[in-house]
Amino acid sequence: MKPFFAVVLLGAAAVALVSSAGTEGEISFEYHRYEELRKALVSVWLQCPTITRIYTIGESFEGRELLVLEMSDNPGTHEPGEPEFKYIANMHGNEAVGRELLIYLAQYLCNQYQQGNETIIDLVHNTRIHLMPSMNPDGFEKAASQPGEIKDWFVGRSNAQGVDLNRNFPDLDRIIYINEREGGANNHLLQNMKKAVDENTKLAPETKAVIHWIMDIPFVLSANLHGGDVVANYPYDETRTGSTHEYSASPDDVMFKSLAKAYSIYNPVMSDQQRKPCRKNDDDSSFKDGITNGGAWYSVPGGMQDFNYLSSNCFEITLELSCDKFPNEDTLKSYWEQNRNSLVSYIEQVHRGVKGFVRDLQGNPISNASISVEGIDHDITTAKDGDYWRLLAPGNYKVAATAPGYLTVIKKVAVPFTPATRVDFELESLMERKEEEREELMDWWKMMSETLNF
Amino acid sequence: MASKYAGLFVLFQLLALSVVSQISAFPTPTAASTDDKPVYNRQLTEERPVQEQIAEADSVKAAVQSAESRRPSSTKDSESQQDLDDLTVLKSLADEQKSKESTEVPIKKDMQYVPDESDSTKSRRLAEDYDSTKNGMDYGKYQDDPESFRQVDGTPLTAEDIVQKIANKIYEEDDRGVFDRIVSKLLKLGLITDSQAETLEYQVAEALQDLITKNAKNNEIEDIESNDQETRGEQDDKGSDTNLDTWEPPRRRYNDEEEEEENDDVVEDEVDRDAEEEEGDTGDNTWDKDTEEGNEVRPEDGLQDLQYFPNFYRLLRSLDSEQDTQERETLITIMKTLIDFVKMMVKYGTITPEEGVSYLENLDAMIAMQTKNKLGKSLGPPDVPGPNGKILDEDDNTKAEAAKMQKEYENLKDSTKEEQPSTETNQPGKSETYLEAIRKNIEWLKKHDKEEGKDDYDLSKLKDFMDQQVDSYIEKGIIAKDEGDTIKRIYSSL
Repeated sequence: MKPFFAVVLLGAAAVALVSSAGTEGEISFEYHRYEELRKALVSVWLQCPTITRIYTIGESFEGRELLVLEMSDNPGTHEPGEPEFKYIANMHGNEAVGRELLIYLAQYLCNQYQQGNETIIDLVHNTRIHLMPSMNPDGFEKAASQPGEIKDWFVGRSNAQGVDLNRNFPDLDRIIYINEREGGANNHLLQNMKKAVDENTKLAPETKAVIHWIMDIPFVLSANLHGGDVVANYPYDETRTGSTHEYSASPDDVMFKSLAKAYSIYNPVMSDQQRKPCRKNDDDSSFKDGITNGGAWYSVPGGMQDFNYLSSNCFEITLELSCDKFPNEDTLKSYWEQNRNSLVSYIEQVHRGVKGFVRDLQGNPISNASISVEGIDHDITTAKDGDYWRLLAPGNYKVAATAPGYLTVIKKVAVPFTPATRVDFELESLMERKEEEREELMDWWKMMSETLNF
Repeated sequence: MASKYAGLFVLFQLLALSVVSQISAFPTPTAASTDDKPVYNRQLTEERPVQEQIAEADSVKAAVQSAESRRPSSTKDSESQQDLDDLTVLKSLADEQKSKESTEVPIKKDMQYVPDESDSTKSRRLAEDYDSTKNGMDYGKYQDDPESFRQVDGTPLTAEDIVQKIANKIYEEDDRGVFDRIVSKLLKLGLITDSQAETLEYQVAEALQDLITKNAKNNEIEDIESNDQETRGEQDDKGSDTNLDTWEPPRRRYNDEEEEEENDDVVEDEVDRDAEEEEGDTGDNTWDKDTEEGNEVRPEDGLQDLQYFPNFYRLLRSLDSEQDTQERETLITIMKTLIDFVKMMVKYGTITPEEGVSYLENLDAMIAMQTKNKLGKSLGPPDVPGPNGKILDEDDNTKAEAAKMQKEYENLKDSTKEEQPSTETNQPGKSETYLEAIRKNIEWLKKHDKEEGKDDYDLSKLKDFMDQQVDSYIEKGIIAKDEGDTIKRIYSSL
């Protein structure tokens, strides 16, 4: 049709205008302020409306929406058995590269999906991917508004209230360390969750919104994008003894190392052993193969990464993606190229370990059942449909499903690297067992009485 | 095939001469006809008595019908025989045979169509009808349509016989392609020149018109399923008066139709007009798709498509009473013929899109003027905001994009429709990005559905879904109200 072609011509002209920032096919590499970010996400949605959905988890202090673009074959719904994944960037407003990378990633996934990229298609069909390019849009605006090329190390880092969001989360590390010593729960440590969050006056609106988000969606795997260095950082961030540097392993240390490596190996800068530190006096002794334990690098209390692991089922790592927190716009293309494969590969890690359903003998799902792995002092729970995903490194494990009022079932599993091994549990409730035993008893009694004739 | 269209021009030009005086690209009829062979001229100038003509036509028809029984060989046979026949035709043409009353002019035994006029053509369903863009160019379809140029007794036909024979064939088969094929063969063999072909067309048109008129007298309504410009052109230029041998300016034609009881009830059940195409978007293969869509939509009388001719539309409206139905039908048919014809011409590069557009615009203006003059009344409020507004928009767009259209001929596979960007003035950058994104989605959907073997994706469902989503996003503050409106507008224009 005539109008279409006119549009094409105009569209082409528009693209030509915009392409001063450099393009990779269909992505244009430039910084997006809030409005531009919003429009970029809307464009992705318009291009791929059947596999994407935009939603907001709340507003920043200054009223900007905390936008999330979700990608899945059935956006808006949790399909039972489909793992949930998230990327969050720019929680420090002046750490801008992650923000942009997630916008490019959204465009990339949509383009690749439509172009028939099988890996991407499979990923989108089997995962529910949530992308939040900016958790701190207010901070970004402040940072981006600075005149000149060189941006200050701190301006725009915290939210509009001056709160460092990555120190603002409830500090569950302290609790877990106590429980380790004295016994206690090893998971889901935020008691009276909703109340604690809503009544806590110290939490920034952005923090609150994210906590609600984590509670509402059964995320399995996540990463938190930062800048200022180049490394993949894994739990725990806070040291056990309180010292400034100390390797602080979590129960899933093996898995976390594997996850962090799965990101770093595809990033040529991150995995470069010969790379010089970002700044001359930086101590990167803890970096190995592009990964580091949080506590070993430096202690961070109240961070979002550990909060995820200790309050929910979600495993999160922290990705530092650039020496420069807010680099020049014309370097964005190269950051994308460095990180594109890593970003996709890390999403694929969600399909590892064991997964399945926990149901009762009638086939009804049992939610909030516990899945524990022998030898790993960290349990996860089943979601509303009874589905669970337990990330595990390759090996042989005994996996147990427990629920109050039910008899525990233990299964042995051999876990490969990927894909996830399906292990379902049918739990017998205690009542049922009692009933069974009673019947058995009755049968025996009957038999006895018949035999003995009384 | 340019000659054929040149011929069409001839026909059409005579009709539209007074309307399109400023379009100098159209060839003038006089130039063409003076070059023609004497035999045709002679036939032209001679006023043959009506009865004679009718009788001739009758006899031809009878011969055709009788020839039916002796049918059917394969296409190949018929084609080779046609070649032979063509040679004979050539001979006869070259000899400049005199006109004389033709005797039996049987069509050869291998004719396959049934010329029963009370039949299929009338019961033909709407969807099959009148689609010039679909069928007009498809010559392969007609290969099993044999013509012969021999009389029963083997004597070569006169030129006049040939003309009659062709006309009959066309009429009975409702297929202008008959003529096309014959002429193309002749031209290919170098046996006739272009100008001769033009004249031949003209002749055939006349003869055909005679046939039509005669049969119209016998039957109330006849559907002529000519998917072909020329036939329509022929009908058009003849208007309702069967005895007109000369071209009449369009106002006279309209006048006739308005004032006389229309007995030339050629009801073309034309269905496939896409409204946007009226602005001259005629160089577009997407007509096919559009025409199909149009078929499904089939408005009452197909009036929707004509709404871009507000004066014509009003004229139709004024003919709303019972007894005017036939006139209405005819008017609609003629109008659609004209439009189609213009589209064809643009498509084949005979005229530029701008010319086509301006022609159509002038046509409508002329209708208004003539209606006023002749009927002594105006067609209604001169400025109806809706249709006029639209026309203005499309004017601007078509003029702006007419040039672009020509460049895009090759890319016509893609039938994605988009709202014209010139109508979005406030946020050009953003709306273009959104347009791009929507376009990519539509493209992908089409490709995706094709690969999966589904039929065309359900655009209306998608549109509803998007509308809904847009509303919810506006509510949540994810998109601004004006952006949402833009997006909705884009989707509703698809």
